[in-house]
This record gives sequence, C-alpha cells and structure tokens, in this order.
Amino acid sequence: MKIRTQVMGLVASLVALSAAPTVSADLNDEITRGQLMAASCQACHNAAGANKGIPNLAMLGEDIIASQMRAFRDGQREATVMNRHAEGYSDEEIDAMAAYFGNQ
Amino acid sequence: MNHLTRRRFLKAAGATGAATFAGTSFAADNSHGSNGAHIVVVGGGSGGATAAKYMKQFLPQLRVTLIEPNATYYTCYGSNWVLSGLASMDDIAHTYDSLRDNHDINIVADRVTTVDPDRRRVHLQGGDSISYDKLVMSPGIDFRYDAVDGISESDASEIPHAWKAGDQTRLLRDQLEAMPNGGVFVMVAPPNPFRCPPGPYERVSLIAHYFKEQKPRSKIIVLDAKDNFSKQGLFEEGWAQHYGDMIEWRAASDGGHVEAVDVAEKTARADSGFERVKADVMNFIPRQQAAQIAHDVGLTNDQGWVPVNQQTFKSEMDDNIYVLGDASVAGAMPKSGHSANNQGKIVAAAIVRELMDQEPLNPSSANTCYSLVTPEHGISVANVYRFIDGTQTAEGGGVSPSGASPEFRASEADYTRAWYQGITQDIWG
Repeated sequence: MKIRTQVMGLVASLVALSAAPTVSADLNDEITRGQLMAASCQACHNAAGANKGIPNLAMLGEDIIASQMRAFRDGQREATVMNRHAEGYSDEEIDAMAAYFGNQ
Repeated sequence: MNHLTRRRFLKAAGATGAATFAGTSFAADNSHGSNGAHIVVVGGGSGGATAAKYMKQFLPQLRVTLIEPNATYYTCYGSNWVLSGLASMDDIAHTYDSLRDNHDINIVADRVTTVDPDRRRVHLQGGDSISYDKLVMSPGIDFRYDAVDGISESDASEIPHAWKAGDQTRLLRDQLEAMPNGGVFVMVAPPNPFRCPPGPYERVSLIAHYFKEQKPRSKIIVLDAKDNFSKQGLFEEGWAQHYGDMIEWRAASDGGHVEAVDVAEKTARADSGFERVKADVMNFIPRQQAAQIAHDVGLTNDQGWVPVNQQTFKSEMDDNIYVLGDASVAGAMPKSGHSANNQGKIVAAAIVRELMDQEPLNPSSANTCYSLVTPEHGISVANVYRFIDGTQTAEGGGVSPSGASPEFRASEADYTRAWYQGITQDIWG
C-alpha cells in the first residue's frame, strides 16, 4: 500500500512536471479573489450593459471605482441599487475589485 | 482538495486524456489538441454557458465541451415581457455561436441520457459518449405535478406552466391574446423553493399591464401555495398604484392553496374544496425540483435538490462533478439566472484552481433580481453573497425603497433592461 502510494505520487509528479510549464505559460497569474469578485460585477458592468447606461468598469480607473463604491456604501452618493450592493462589501473587497479593474 | 485526490486526478487526467482521443467519435475534439484537461458542461443555460465561457477565459488550454440539446436558448427571465407583448421571442433568444466561434468551446447539440461517474463518461441520446476529467452540470429544474390532483405534465399543452421559456411561453401568450375582454386569468403559484422567486408576481404585473391596455374588464387571480412572496410589499404597492383591484392575490392560508385542477373545465379547487375558481386562461406553475438527470446520477437529496460544497459547488456525492444553477442547494442565493451566472464563475475558478493545485477561493458575488411592475416601474432585490460557515450567506442589500418616486421606479425599469443586455452578453456573447 505504501509503495503503491509512492508510485502513484511519482507518476503524479512526472505528470505535474510535464504539465506545469504549459499551464504557467498560458496563465499570467493565478486567478485571484479580486478577479473572481470583479467577474461578478461584469455581469452588468460590461460593454453591452454600458450601451444601456450601466458604466463599463473596464473603462474606469482603480481610484474611481474604489472611491465611488465607498461613496455608495456610506450614503454620500445616491443610487438605485449600487448602494445596496456596496453595503455588502468590505474595504478589502472593494480595493481588490478596484485593483483588478484598474490593472486591466 | 487534498493531495491524494489531486494525485489521483492527475493520474486519471493523463490516462483519460489519451482515451478521449482514441475513443471519442467527435472530430472536434482533435482541434482542441492541447494537453489540457477535458471539462464537460451539461446544460447551456445561464449557469452552464457561463461556466464554459469563464473556464476558457481563466485557463485557455482547457478543452471545454458544452452539451445542450437546443440550438436556441430562451431565457426564462424576460419571458414575462413576451407574455405581455413588450418583447418578442427573438428578444430573449440566444445561440451558442459566439461560445463556439469566439471562445473555442466545443458545442454538442445532444441530450445527456446517463452519466457514468466511475468511468467519467456521459452518454448521449444520439448514441455517442464523451469522457471527462471534470463534469459541470447545470441541468435546471423539472416539475412535480404530484402535489395537486387532476393535472399532469401532459396537460401543459392545455394549461401551460411557461416556467421554461420557449414553446410554453408562446402558448401562454397565444391564450392570453385569444382571451376575451372581461376574462379571468388564474395563476397557480408554486411553493418554495422554485426558480425565480419574484417571477410569478412580475408575470401577473405585466399581464395586468397588457389587460389594462387591451382588455380592461379582465381579472387576475393568484392562488398561491405560500403565505408571502419575494418583494411582496413593493409588488402590492405597485399593483394598487397601477392596476386598482385587477389583481387578487390569495395566500395559501386564505383560500389560495390549490388541491386539485379540473383541466377540461379550467377550474382550480382551493380552500379544502370550499372554493372553485374558474379560469378563461390558467397558468399552473408546478412544484419544482432538480432536473431528472441529477436524480438519475444520484446527486439529489431527499427534497429533490442537489447538495454541494457551497464554496466551490462541487457535488457532495462525487468528487469530479460540480452542480450549479437552479438545481443546486446554494444557501441564501436565490434560484435566479444571475445566481447561476455567479455560480458559473465560481465553478470555473474552482476547477481551474484545483487543476493548478491551488486552494479554492472564497469569493463574494452580487445578485440583483429586477422585476417590472409596468414597463416604466422597476423594482429590485439586491444582495452580496459570501461563503460563511459552510453556506452562501446574504450580506448588505435588500429591496428597493417603498414609496419611491416615479423617476426612481423608471430608472430601475431602465436598469432592468440594461441588466438583461449585460448579463446575456456575459453569458452567451
């Protein structure tokens, strides 16, 4: 059983070695939490939504997104729905999402 | 994922990678030609299409096959616009052309009949089978007609559910158009949990809008299996504002609970038989559960839904199968197209990170359920969902304010349509 596990481990290592360079070459960075949370925003805040009046976040800078999310959350900027969304996010999450969009 | 499982996966991925090329009858597989793992996605609705698209986006060398029998997908969200004449079927139609041509996803127009989790293969109605390293299932819902006497699935051609968009939507629209002024539209609304919690109430709102314009002497009665519903205060405020007493909603405990339907007479028997409600057009939305294929594979719980790890949406029953969308048990996340879209991204990231031997992420995601009370009166419920203590938990958010100005409502109606354009582009574009 122990030997079998070691053999399996060896096979896995060989596969991992041969696979790893391809993976890292194709993927610039690992998927981050900021990226995944930003993907949620993009359901509405994309080019098609922008045609109908929803800002396309990919076109906005990191500072704008971070400051406006805080303004929505803290009631300093009026909104229909963004204030309700902003209330659900922490500072750390707002900054992570803003940084992802800002670096696109 | 622990390392032993990871090793097993890598070993298996190497082996089935070869088997896929040798054994499959799909020429398209060869064009994918990389050494990436093969991910098969079952179901091309909001959840499945999103998962397929984002997996290719996150890790381009993955081979992704999407199996969906219908060449055109009609969204259930937006179908109430069609019922009321505000939109056409084409407006809610989406194809897989862009996923195939722009995102390198192998589209297979077939229906999965069985899944063999031990051999990691799906079998198709057309006779082929396809092997997978990871399987993503977004099969949606099926209906349970057993809770109400006198009506069965075959009666949907007379009394439509119109809760899966397509021919059923057309049928109900045709019936509404044929109904005389002064007729009675009866909706039998389902018990929780069900697809699109505010959907039935948006539906009667927009049918009331159509009646008000075209058939103003008509009446709407909702016989509900529940005592309350999503955005109830906002809907009732809007109904009083725009439709007077045209819409009558009966709670389950106040005569709304339907025990039987006489299909030929289009009559519902409610309130322990004391009440018989005759319809000119009836919309019977049945009790729901996960689609049959999820049951067949053994993924469902006693309530007929699919329990998953709500951080990754991996099935609790099988380490290589992920289940998302309406079929899954997702904590506080509603059974909405928007939730399915979020879950598709969560699954895509979870699979890619697992393949990369990385820990799963703990994302927060945002859901908005918009509804139209009139074409110029929109309302919404919005929340951020976060994985806490094993379940998806609602944070922040809530419903639109009551007593808001007409301008506010009009703005949310505009955002309802903008949301539709944005999210359908995100899913199928």
